[in-house]
Amino acid sequence: MENELKQLIIDALDLEDISVADIDSHAPLFNGGLGLDSIDALELGLAIRKKYQIKIEAEKEDVVKIFASVSSLADYLQSVQG
Amino acid sequence: MADFILCNWSAWAPGLERKDDRLMGSGNAAAPKCVPKTLQRRLTPLAKAVFNVSELCVGRGITPPVVFSSAHGEICKSLAMLKTIQAGEELSPTAFSLSVHNAIAGLFSIAYGNTQEITVLAPGQEGIAPAFIEALGMLHEGAGEVLMLLYDEPIADFYPIAPFNLNTSSPCVLALRIALTGDGLPLQFLRSPQPRDDGEHPVQLLNFLKFLLAGERSLSLGNQGHSWTWCKK
Repeated sequence: MENELKQLIIDALDLEDISVADIDSHAPLFNGGLGLDSIDALELGLAIRKKYQIKIEAEKEDVVKIFASVSSLADYLQSVQG
Repeated sequence: MADFILCNWSAWAPGLERKDDRLMGSGNAAAPKCVPKTLQRRLTPLAKAVFNVSELCVGRGITPPVVFSSAHGEICKSLAMLKTIQAGEELSPTAFSLSVHNAIAGLFSIAYGNTQEITVLAPGQEGIAPAFIEALGMLHEGAGEVLMLLYDEPIADFYPIAPFNLNTSSPCVLALRIALTGDGLPLQFLRSPQPRDDGEHPVQLLNFLKFLLAGERSLSLGNQGHSWTWCKK
């Protein structure tokens, strides 16, 4: 799941020079080494919606916690998928 | 009437087959290296051309006030989004955020850390003259130099443009660095009394570039009684 998410991040956000191995599952996804910004967060949300049919509602969910790292995002998606 | 100095200029016009040091070759389509990678991925070929032409004209590390001028910006992005909506798909937030007319100017200011006054014009049939009026205004308000970045790309066939003369077959980017004093080509800019029919911004832009490359001493451009003349002094 984590590697699948990393590939999704690379594809959805056009991170040409980055490979799955470059992304640390536990590192901060935003305001961190990848240099991703708030527009990337929206784009990633859309990509997740398309791929997993899971909509992460900003009003209902703790999005900061969910999007904290690849690991936390994978945990959340797996918990929703059941 | 206003006098000014054209300190330097550079351009990218793949449709114009001329050899000149100030014309960028068609192979220079990569994003400038000083632009952070995370921003590079958001630059279209037109945006990259605007950045490269600007660097050729101004050099890195110098951030003058800028006047951007383009008839339609990157309207192809808006068309692509409309097609996405038509297909019933969700819009890309990134595409949406970059679809505004001043998207290139926004990316430019972030990439170069340019916090000077930046204006973006969509002058329509007034052509390229409003960009000069704006830039000269900045100079007379005290700016030492102003960078003008004028650009257009061909409009998609989807849009009916007849009977307006506003399209060209290839893109064009022109950077002009102007000042009131100093070294360079002295130019005079004045209203022209005669009614003219010279097409809109994309067409005028290419004609102004040809004027810079050619030996002619003056060029008049305008539409329906709003005409302007540039004279090499």
